[in-house]
Amino acid sequence: SIQLEMPPAPSAAAGSCALSLGSRFLFGCRVTAAHRFAASPVQPPSPLHQQPHLQPCRQGRRWLRPEFRGVYKPRLSPEAMKEFWRLSGIGPDHSRAKVADQQAEVPPEIKRLYQEALPPIVSQDYRDPIVESLHRAEMMRRRRVINIPEFHVGSILAVSVMDKHAPNKVNRFVGLCILRRHTGLFTTFTLRNMVDQVCVQIEYELYSPSIVSIQLLKLERRLDDNLLYLMDAPHSHCTIPFDMVPEPYSRNDPVPVNRERVRLNPPPWMCKWHLHGYQGIDLEHLYSYLSDKDVAKAIEFSKAYKRYDLLDQYLNRVPVPDADYAFKDIFIQHQELLQHQQQQQQSSKKSEVISKLTGTA
Amino acid sequence: APALSSQLIVAMATAPHTWLRLVPSCRSYSKATRLHKIDYPWKDEPKPHWVRQFEARRVDADLTPENRDWLRQWRLQRVRDAVASSSEAAAAASPLKEPPAARPLWTPRVSQRCGLVGIKLGILPMWYRNGQKVHTTVVQIPDQRVLRWVPPEDLGNYASLREMRPYRLNQSFLPRWLTQQRWGLQLVGAVPADPANFTAQWCGIFKAAGLPPMRKISRFLVSPDASLQPGACLGLHHFRVGDCVDVVARTVNRGFQGVMERHLMEGGPAAHGSTKFHRKMGSAAGGGGPIYRGKRMPGVMGNRFRAARSLPVLRVNTKHRLLFIKGFTPGPPHSYCQIMDSWMLDVRRSLDANPPPMPTYFAEDAPEGGYPEDVYHPDLLPYDQPLELPD
Repeated sequence: SIQLEMPPAPSAAAGSCALSLGSRFLFGCRVTAAHRFAASPVQPPSPLHQQPHLQPCRQGRRWLRPEFRGVYKPRLSPEAMKEFWRLSGIGPDHSRAKVADQQAEVPPEIKRLYQEALPPIVSQDYRDPIVESLHRAEMMRRRRVINIPEFHVGSILAVSVMDKHAPNKVNRFVGLCILRRHTGLFTTFTLRNMVDQVCVQIEYELYSPSIVSIQLLKLERRLDDNLLYLMDAPHSHCTIPFDMVPEPYSRNDPVPVNRERVRLNPPPWMCKWHLHGYQGIDLEHLYSYLSDKDVAKAIEFSKAYKRYDLLDQYLNRVPVPDADYAFKDIFIQHQELLQHQQQQQQSSKKSEVISKLTGTA
Repeated sequence: APALSSQLIVAMATAPHTWLRLVPSCRSYSKATRLHKIDYPWKDEPKPHWVRQFEARRVDADLTPENRDWLRQWRLQRVRDAVASSSEAAAAASPLKEPPAARPLWTPRVSQRCGLVGIKLGILPMWYRNGQKVHTTVVQIPDQRVLRWVPPEDLGNYASLREMRPYRLNQSFLPRWLTQQRWGLQLVGAVPADPANFTAQWCGIFKAAGLPPMRKISRFLVSPDASLQPGACLGLHHFRVGDCVDVVARTVNRGFQGVMERHLMEGGPAAHGSTKFHRKMGSAAGGGGPIYRGKRMPGVMGNRFRAARSLPVLRVNTKHRLLFIKGFTPGPPHSYCQIMDSWMLDVRRSLDANPPPMPTYFAEDAPEGGYPEDVYHPDLLPYDQPLELPD
């Protein structure tokens, strides 16, 4: 259990009102987060740090609220504090690699394959564990029918869907994945390509049964979560031949990152690309199109103050225990899926052998 | 299944009751679906409102924490035993109890069965066998028992003594269920919980029926031939796959809203010299006349009982006790809803041809071998089957 220590309180020599004011600014925003995450019961503070319930002041006695009395103040050693910040998953020094350390039981390939297994980032009122477990179970059931490869925004995919009006009843489209949205069975991804000098973007539902196959042609990652700015980029960036040969990749290697910076077309643009923090755009070239005021606004946006905005990080991130649980659940079902695939291969081999022996086609 | 009841009790006993939710609204409804009639906020008050359900929590200082926890576990175990002994599985297993009386037959144009209390959990997308997508609302059916039957003859006495505003009953407009006296009221209790959570008055309602106290009491309009006596168990298989149901629930509370959001009024122009008139109502009446009751004005939006009619049940999950109902139902997740046989005429006529279990599902109605974990509608495509479109 984490030993909690309280930081040193201000000296009691200062006036009573000043003391309470000082304690509010000292303790109000620093220690509450640690108290919420503390696993073990809070130990009572030592008498040195304990404030009296009734603080004498000029108009009589002031009743000090518990948070200023030192009653609930936990004591946290620097090591324990470091451990807390590491486990919380938020903070200015936090990175993805550190979050992955604590989920050592689940292999990293699971998190790459099943990115949509994470619960949605919404208010707790709208989340339900039973519904989320149903989503995960149905996802794995669908994966017994079709192979869904690992892909990221920036990868090139070939998707075949059922189309009753097509000559072979199947419609194949090749494109660059520019967007990947939502979670669970609602997951969708958008492919972009040029068809007869016309830009085409198609959004597919990943778990729709009308998808016959999803083939990964090139596994790649980009610097951004979405590539919507390609709508205002030269068409050469998203022109992919339909007869592209799939490139081999290894699951054990990290996903290659394409660090190219795209030069956008001159304005007008569909969106204010300079205000969304895109790293995949050539910023110098972009700023050359903007006025000084817009450039100042864009630079201020990219000052990276958001890494210190803890509430923003907390609200826009899946809670680590929930993510952990989801991936563990998926890992168990993933192993069952592999067994199911092995059984299918064995039975198909058996049927081949039987058909050869009996001489049937 | 009985094994899950205790888990549900503990889970539901610690779950919060329905609470006020403030959610930003989206204008996704059209004017055609709005109800163009005068209705009053107090019409939707939950009943019984003359009995206080909760009171200030007592802290028994004479008990040590360990003894307090032990007593709580003892109380919960008694609740679990009461639930298990009155469950349908216990009724089927016990050889000493008398078999139920002759079950009534489904009478066309007369019978109206009791409904179920459900808890809306969320939404799950599914696909039909023709490739069409359908959104299903996942509703969990908690432990529930029949509490009381009020026959149609006693409805006047039951209603008049209990209305908070009795002058409403002196008006010419009275609800039809009260004047026709065709159907009676069936009170159903759901979600058994620790008696210490409630007042003695609330627990007394359940004592007469010999049931543990429950968090939710609902009432259904039921025909006398389909009435159930206190203590009867209502289960998941009361509804079958393919039955069309009506889901009645309190809509999402959107808070205090203006007329543009609440009543889809036009408001005023954004520019062109408009002085402080962008989102207002404008005139309230005409020619110096009075403002009539029911004039549409700003106020609290949502938090009203509304019904989604004729929604088919597409899938039943026996492991978690879930009904998958096509479409969307009113209310936020984890809110109570009432599910009953649809009142729509085409559904009632189809039920005459294929009558449901009357008055409710009993263990003797189960098919041989029991139910599988998931029962799908024949038109629905399970996720582990590939789609095969006809040429």
